[in-house]
Amino acid sequence: MKSPVFAYAAPNTVAEACSLLANDEDAKLLAGGQSLVPLLALRLAAPTTLVDLRLVPALTGITYDQGVLRLGAMTTHRAIERSPLVQDVAPAIAEAAALIAHPQVRTRGTIGGAVAHADAAAEWPAVLLALGGHVEVTGTTGSRSISASDLFMGPFMTSLEPDEVITSVSLPIDGREIWVDEHQRRHGDYGLSILAMTYQLSDGFLTDVRLAVAGATGSVTRAPEAEAALEGRAPADSSDAITALAAELSYTSDIHGSADYRRDITTTLFQRALRAAGERSGQA
Amino acid sequence: MTQPSEHVSVQVEVNGRRYQRSVMARLTLSDFLRDELGLTGTKVGCEHGVCGACTVLIDNEPARSCLMLTVQANGKQIRTVESLASGREMSPLQACFQKHHALQCGFCTAGFLMSATALLEEGQPTREDIVETLSGHYCRCTGYSPIIDAVEEAAAKESS
Repeated sequence: MKSPVFAYAAPNTVAEACSLLANDEDAKLLAGGQSLVPLLALRLAAPTTLVDLRLVPALTGITYDQGVLRLGAMTTHRAIERSPLVQDVAPAIAEAAALIAHPQVRTRGTIGGAVAHADAAAEWPAVLLALGGHVEVTGTTGSRSISASDLFMGPFMTSLEPDEVITSVSLPIDGREIWVDEHQRRHGDYGLSILAMTYQLSDGFLTDVRLAVAGATGSVTRAPEAEAALEGRAPADSSDAITALAAELSYTSDIHGSADYRRDITTTLFQRALRAAGERSGQA
Repeated sequence: MTQPSEHVSVQVEVNGRRYQRSVMARLTLSDFLRDELGLTGTKVGCEHGVCGACTVLIDNEPARSCLMLTVQANGKQIRTVESLASGREMSPLQACFQKHHALQCGFCTAGFLMSATALLEEGQPTREDIVETLSGHYCRCTGYSPIIDAVEEAAAKESS
């Protein structure tokens, strides 16, 4: 398998990357390449130009300031998983990074690339939605911030303009509880269901619940009915929410698992998340 | 402004030796190592990042060389399976693979060896760490247990 021929450029600035994208409508950005390079090998993608971001210095690094964890777009999953800062302020985020594929892929794959690729079975979009995060993007006409809820439009589809580059991913880490879990047939496979939940616990009751599911559904999605059914309830008082989550989402059927199977797995992941919430409320 | 080009110039250090080449931008690192440098110890299995056979170390971190364009490795240090033995003397890890019959056909072995090398260099792995790291590799012959045993013994030897 050989990729189609393409022209390649590795600019030193985001502005130059945006211009290169604007000059060629079939140009694509290259981040870590862990999704794009196989798509090229299988000839499912045939960009005329690849704009590699590896030489843009401003795109890596992890900072935490005023309750926001900011991850440079070219930060690898491995760097996030192993970051002492992430492990300290948001251990659930470091653990979520470790769910992604295998170590040999995490050393190269980036959070910005994964978010822009918006695979329906990717972890970061679910995490971003459940946390209420956002991405900073820059295009030829300037920079803007896009919230997770406005970013993901469907499988492999985002609201990014063709000339826009994600420069960083911001996750609010503000004391809300975070839970991320997934089920894979074999370790490192794509998740058959990925569940991310954030919430606050006050006097043993759940508030401000945000629930996101990926892998089991056609694209990453919130579950508003299940969220509403948990609001103000104790984690153990969740039978309505479990019923809602099973009913409100449209589960995918393919060779890896039927819709019923994915619904059951998602229900189990949700029950685990609620059990953890119960344990956390017991400790509080 | 940087002009996009189908050909790129790359400079890499492979197993301690420097190479400079002009290659197609689309050339994967695995094809570069095998076809341009003749380092055929690195095997290419699935060619789309599933099997792990082509794993090499890039600046000491394991990566699938079929999922990297050669140009992405520009300026980096690469180690392949050819770096492990000294002359005809196998490295301790390779000797453990032989002792435990951790290979039969050998096609996947270079990848396993390179991931295990990175793991051993990081510290003292548990059996669980070894399984987690090697889960990114397919072996169709051994059933994996001998491979895990070999890496575990190599880890124990390193610490003693």
